[in-house]
Amino acid sequence: MNDIVGIDLGTTNSLIGVMDSGFPILIADRDGSRLTPSVVYLPETGDPVVGAPADRMRALFPERTIYSVKRLIGRRAGESDKEDFPFTVKSQGGRTLLEIGEQLLKPEEISSLVVKKLKADAELSLGNPVDRAVITVPAYFNDLQRQATKRAGELAGFAVERMINEPTAAALAYGLDRLDDRSRIAVYDLGGGTFDISILELNEGVFRVLSTNGNTRLGGDDIDRELVRLLKERITARHPDLRQELDNKLFLARIREIAHAAKLRLSTEEMVQVEIPFLSGNRSFSYNLTRQELEAVARPIVRRTRSHCLRSLDDAKLNPVKLDEVILVGGVTRMPIVRQFVAEVFQRLPNNTQNPDEAVAIGATIQAGILSGQVQNVVLLDVTPLSLGIETFGGLMNVLIPRNSTIPCKAGEMFTNAVTNQTAMQIVVLQGERELAKDNWELGRFDLQFERVSKGLARIGVQFEIDADGILHVLARDTRTGRERVIELSSAVDVSDEAVEKMIAESLDNAFDDMAERLLTEAVLKSNELLPAVRSALTLVGDQIEPDDQRKIHALVHEVEAALKTRDPHRLKKANAELDEGTQHLATLLIDRAMEEAAKRKK
Amino acid sequence: MIDYFALLDIERRPAIDEESLKHAYFGKTGSLRVDQAEGDAFSSLNMAFRIIANPATRIQHLLKLEFGDAGGGEIGADLGELFGSVVEALQKADHEFGSLSTESSALLRALAFQKIDGARERLNQIENELSQRECSLLSQLVRLDTLWPEKPAQCRDLLAQIALRLTFVQKWLSEVRERKIRLEELA
Repeated sequence: MNDIVGIDLGTTNSLIGVMDSGFPILIADRDGSRLTPSVVYLPETGDPVVGAPADRMRALFPERTIYSVKRLIGRRAGESDKEDFPFTVKSQGGRTLLEIGEQLLKPEEISSLVVKKLKADAELSLGNPVDRAVITVPAYFNDLQRQATKRAGELAGFAVERMINEPTAAALAYGLDRLDDRSRIAVYDLGGGTFDISILELNEGVFRVLSTNGNTRLGGDDIDRELVRLLKERITARHPDLRQELDNKLFLARIREIAHAAKLRLSTEEMVQVEIPFLSGNRSFSYNLTRQELEAVARPIVRRTRSHCLRSLDDAKLNPVKLDEVILVGGVTRMPIVRQFVAEVFQRLPNNTQNPDEAVAIGATIQAGILSGQVQNVVLLDVTPLSLGIETFGGLMNVLIPRNSTIPCKAGEMFTNAVTNQTAMQIVVLQGERELAKDNWELGRFDLQFERVSKGLARIGVQFEIDADGILHVLARDTRTGRERVIELSSAVDVSDEAVEKMIAESLDNAFDDMAERLLTEAVLKSNELLPAVRSALTLVGDQIEPDDQRKIHALVHEVEAALKTRDPHRLKKANAELDEGTQHLATLLIDRAMEEAAKRKK
Repeated sequence: MIDYFALLDIERRPAIDEESLKHAYFGKTGSLRVDQAEGDAFSSLNMAFRIIANPATRIQHLLKLEFGDAGGGEIGADLGELFGSVVEALQKADHEFGSLSTESSALLRALAFQKIDGARERLNQIENELSQRECSLLSQLVRLDTLWPEKPAQCRDLLAQIALRLTFVQKWLSEVRERKIRLEELA
């Protein structure tokens, strides 16, 4: 029997499972671990190292140890510029590539090494080869990210039988032993790099996704990054002379590792002692980090999931009280602050019976079981997360398949020639929710060929199909000739290297010329916004703060004014940030005041 | 033209009970074999469910099947007036808070809080009005549904108008809700 395996290809960890006598089981590697860190170390000579041994290399060879590559997969150059990885992320020909020593690698090639390791673990455990797989993707992944993930599976030697959305997989894991139930659930999935929220209806074995929303650049990694920033601040406060050294990659990698470990422990402990021995020479650093401090940096990040939850509820036409359960998935949901937040948004205590690291992999394995026939009486109805459309006259997006349509689905559009003897027409395919075409993801473009006929006589029907993996296929049919043809989208990542390099070179030239200028302009704008705001705030609630505090704020204001005169962009930026930080409590007072007044009005 | 009612094996009616529609749809999808699950059959069923589940598209599909076209109609003076206030509230929200984002400083957002709160209240009012319209249109639909089997031709124009009005109300509701979420993000 040719088994199909289920794979959760995560930002931080990856897992593999297989159906065994009707039950989904996860496979451990030879060290007995079911979690494989999604980390690849590429030594200068020798074979790549994958998983836990690679993870241990992060602090030693930060430039050769790739982690969180899922944040780069299927992304265009320019979409991934904000990540601060210690390894080199390049863009070439519009693609995002990793430069490790002499080698240039695609993100999916790195992912495929992780998949290969899982494949080997499974084959060792099962005693036979496996070559068919179900792979999970974040529900909010777009077409390009899904295609790249599929390629990662194929590069590792798998036929990818199905891609399944992570929250949907978690819902399968939750619902498999509740097949008689009829209920509505929300799956809140906050992982290392991505956030998804899906709302499902479970109805006697039918798992129907009602809506899904999310952000593919929001996750635990962001909390780690903020925590690193906090620790760096604490270190420089104590050792100001180390400011320069702290930007050293080896250093940062060490701090990142320590910050991540501290974050994990603070889910169960109120305080941890952060130790960084031999910080520089013989000096060490020790600091008592409290859960409160962690939560202060995590709160704004967690809060960003709120609007996605609200949109998802709106799209499902539900309010929180109509839900029966909210399931937590993803390692980050172990944090107490996340649980409190979810409880607040959904007005109920979340259900944490699922293992947040394993539910997705178990669900992928169940989906594998459905495909192989080992799991019966289960029907999965998933949706496409993003609207699909084409650019129309005036640069607008014309939606052909709305978001949250059940997949697979199709939509057709008829095109004709606008002028006599027109031989071609360019179609731009888009994915996203914005009105203007340019604000959405461009999936690609293609030319429709017309016969030479009078205006309005050509008739080409184009069919857009989103398959069960959430991947787009385009088919054109000339209704006059009856000819059909499958259209390959020339995606924007395929434009010629020279064109892109020229573009990048030009923008870089410009950037270097006016970088300082731009920084200054931005900082001046910010000051011009901030200074009057501080003045109004002081008039409104200035009497409610201590005189000491007042003096402090005035000093910060003076510094901004002084910095404005020097026109030093770095000094101004810093002064702005300090004024912003120093007036946080004024903001709180203002909101309290506004709420009091609103309450009075309503009486 | 595909008859989506026939595809799902349900009676051609203006109003359809959600539970029985789901029952029909799940029955059909459940009986597809795994190898069909990616194909045209599945796509068509999904499309049928989407068209029939939404009252506005369901009516338009029904009218096309029965009479050859979905009919026109006007949205009516009352909705026209409501449309005016919807646009005004949306533009006001965009204009006043368009420059603010979650990146703006906390102080700026706090200063705008009172105004944001006012705008949210206005959007809430409009959302309520629109929801009421939606409800009353849906109950008109149910009344016409009882007349339909006897005298479909009599229902034709009224149904076309309900479909048109529902389409607008649904579109505005989603715009208003999206604005509310954006304002919520700022506060």
